[in-house]
Amino acid sequence: MSEPSPEVYERGRGMDAHNEVMRGIRAQKDATYDPHEPTRVWLDEDNTPGGVYDSLTIILNTGGCRWARAGGCTMCGYVAESVEGGSVAHDALMDQIDVCLDHERENLGEPGEDDEQAGLIKIYTSGSFLDEREVGAQTRQAIAETFGDRERIVVESLPDFVDAEKVQDFTQHGLDVDVAVGLETATDRVRHDCVNKYFDFADFEDAAMAAKEAGAGVKAYLLMKPPFLTEPEALADMKASVRKCADVEGCHTVSMNPCNVQRYTMVDELYFRGGYRPPWLWSVADVLESTADEDVIVVSDPVGHGSERGPHNCGECDDNVQTAIKDFDLRQDPSVFEQVSCECEATWETVLERETEYNAPLVD
Amino acid sequence: MTEYFEVLSRDGAARAAELRLADPVATPGLVDDVVENAGGMWPEHQDVPDGDERTLTVLPHRGLPAGTADEVADSFAVTAPDVDYPSAAVVSSNHVEASGADAYVLSDVQGFLGHARGFKDAILSVKDAVPEDAAVYLSGAATPRNVAVLAYAGVDLFDTDRAVALGTQGRYLTTDENHFLDDLDELPCACEACRQPREEFDRQDCVDHNVAVLEAELARVRRRIRDGRLRDYVEGQARQDQWLTALVRELDQEWGYLEARTPVYRNAHMDATTEDTLNRVEIQRFAQRVTERYENRFDAPLVLVPCSATKPYSDSQSHYQFREVIRYRAHLASITSPIGVVPQELELTYPAQHYDTVVTGEWTAGEVEFVAEVLRRYLDANDYPRVVAHVPDDYRPIVERALEAHPDLDVEFTVADHPTTDESLANLAAALEGESAYGKRERQRNTVRALADYQFGAGAGDDLFGDFQVTSRYPKLQIRADEPPTAGDDQNAAPQLATMVPNYGTLSFTLRGARRWLESDVPTKRVQIDAFVPHGSVLAPGVVDADSDIREGDEVVVEGPKAFAIGRAQMHGDAMVESTRGEACSVRHVEET
Repeated sequence: MSEPSPEVYERGRGMDAHNEVMRGIRAQKDATYDPHEPTRVWLDEDNTPGGVYDSLTIILNTGGCRWARAGGCTMCGYVAESVEGGSVAHDALMDQIDVCLDHERENLGEPGEDDEQAGLIKIYTSGSFLDEREVGAQTRQAIAETFGDRERIVVESLPDFVDAEKVQDFTQHGLDVDVAVGLETATDRVRHDCVNKYFDFADFEDAAMAAKEAGAGVKAYLLMKPPFLTEPEALADMKASVRKCADVEGCHTVSMNPCNVQRYTMVDELYFRGGYRPPWLWSVADVLESTADEDVIVVSDPVGHGSERGPHNCGECDDNVQTAIKDFDLRQDPSVFEQVSCECEATWETVLERETEYNAPLVD
Repeated sequence: MTEYFEVLSRDGAARAAELRLADPVATPGLVDDVVENAGGMWPEHQDVPDGDERTLTVLPHRGLPAGTADEVADSFAVTAPDVDYPSAAVVSSNHVEASGADAYVLSDVQGFLGHARGFKDAILSVKDAVPEDAAVYLSGAATPRNVAVLAYAGVDLFDTDRAVALGTQGRYLTTDENHFLDDLDELPCACEACRQPREEFDRQDCVDHNVAVLEAELARVRRRIRDGRLRDYVEGQARQDQWLTALVRELDQEWGYLEARTPVYRNAHMDATTEDTLNRVEIQRFAQRVTERYENRFDAPLVLVPCSATKPYSDSQSHYQFREVIRYRAHLASITSPIGVVPQELELTYPAQHYDTVVTGEWTAGEVEFVAEVLRRYLDANDYPRVVAHVPDDYRPIVERALEAHPDLDVEFTVADHPTTDESLANLAAALEGESAYGKRERQRNTVRALADYQFGAGAGDDLFGDFQVTSRYPKLQIRADEPPTAGDDQNAAPQLATMVPNYGTLSFTLRGARRWLESDVPTKRVQIDAFVPHGSVLAPGVVDADSDIREGDEVVVEGPKAFAIGRAQMHGDAMVESTRGEACSVRHVEET
């Protein structure tokens, strides 16, 4: 989506401002991490086009996000520099994979049985797994080899780095491959001005095409309610984004995740001053319910649900709505939302009707 | 140009005004029904709408929420376009750009609502940047409990968004509390929504009730502003929530903001019922003028007496008795909380005859400190051969404290038990034994001079009129030049310079008096107007320039290419210059030039 030149100038100014502020915020965070340990690893259950699998999710410590070093996304609290020196060697990355395999062995299945494996492997980094400055070809191929006997693998990347050759490192093992792209929203203006992420929806479409050529699929990650949007604006943005993603060939899954308030982010600065409220769980449910007819799997995994810093309703119904959302993730059946109701729906409707960019957040 | 908003009257920073739509809206008031939001531009571009005169259009904007960094605000803020229909521009308190809008909406309201200092800073920031007569709109802010204080701070436009949202949450709002509906076994209200059995009252009724109470409170606020009595109400109402009390106190520290907007006199009663009254502009200003401008011109002892509930004091029984004993052999000054010291010449001067205080005989530490400090400064500025303190016991610590700074002053206490008992009055008479009385002429001339000092500045009583005569009876004294009439004057009397206005204890000039003022060394207050001859009043658009120290109620000289006039300011000087509408000053006398 190209814009006339004055807008481009405006966009540059906005990006400079966001980056300057975010650099200042991130600079307050002072932490280094062991390059032989993954950032995080956990087991879960996931719905994919191939069915529901046990999943092993790995966040590799690849030395930090290049974009975060420039400033980066307004809601993201992952570190800019996650190891000394800013890059992680092949051996260290493979050590991280070993730690993850140990975790899987120790925690999956009944105690004492060690032959159970997750069918689905999800690998995220603090940037792009397919960016060879972060994860070299040797490491990528070794990891593909390691998980070659699984059913499905998800690797995260910015659209720029998605090409058929890299994807084929995985498909050649017979793996179903998904490239996860942090699209955040299908609306370029919101991705640029609210999230401060600089690629266009067209780039996402191109990446989906490249993945498809290599026999892979694309999973779009959407962010519900980036900073500066009101609840009704965020809701409309997500509904439109899910529909646009559904229309992209090769994009078979959308993971729509409500923004939570992470430390050392612009969102946190706004939240601290009373200028940001995470989205309502009703909004998450509404997007899922109203886009259930789209030809795409839509899931959501609200982090920190029910807390002040996470997506929340009134405090009474948060767990019930979260359960319905998780249920929907696995079954894609919108009727799950008919089972939940609460008096606070009237408040949420009032917010949708009355919240504006000059009175938000109208309700805590 | 604030074409569609007109301030009709000011009461400190609060304004009673009108949003001039096809169906006008009285403010401070709710604008839900007339606001049309052209939309936020974070998710998408918004075109400037066509607008119309029935609605207040909120122009396309990017709302900057609380906590937005300055760099981000500077890069993303949208400049409001100039339109020719009623419009509101969205700004944030750390990024205010004045435009041609009639109203300004603060997008970061949820960040400073509930925080006294932040709220004060935000309001001052926007007020400082936009024209004086532009409306300020806070959306999603008003509750029945806070709206009076928000209006007092200078906010004009509100909506029901907060009251409605809270209602849906089961919060039952009253002017004193935000109740949990579930906790109420009876409804403390008789509005339409509340006239039903408690068990049938649900959250939708709660919404209706909240809106009804908010509307009623705003009607009360508008009435109070028009009466010049919002502060009296706010001193009580602010007590219902700590942050509101804190906000009133924060604003009291903003002398420049409140003083500029507070009239120098008004024909309204003033309740002095809280300690905060001591910090009111009217009180502080009186104390300042009495101690810095006023000069005692009587060569006589000072008799300090307690104030009386009856105003003016001289109409009271007690002061009648004091006067009968003193018989013009001393200068009389009343000691009072919260005014401080009121010399006899100024007993009619606002607010000396307009206030009522709570008398229990118990003084708070704050009252003692304030009044003692005023008395000390009064005695610093004025020389008396001796002082007779005819005050009851509860006043004595004040006098003694003030006198600590004046150890050489000869002071005699004359009250035995109560000031009006025979014994006390006999003591007073004995103390004044042998003093000579001053005459009526001296009394009247000194009254005129004291009023001039108070109203126009230190030394004005001597500089303004030179030699002058006083005619007519107190308190309607007429000040006449000590010279024969010239052409155009009434040939049967000395030419008049000014008249004393008994309601406010001030002086009003004639044209000749105005010229004397200009010729004197006393600082003048001038309004420059366009080439026209004003009759009755000067409207703000006709003002070319005005001194920024002009206050509502001040005497002002009006000058233009075609006219010379004397009148009274109806708004402060900056408002005259910045306003698009409204009466800048009334004109008493005018002549074509």
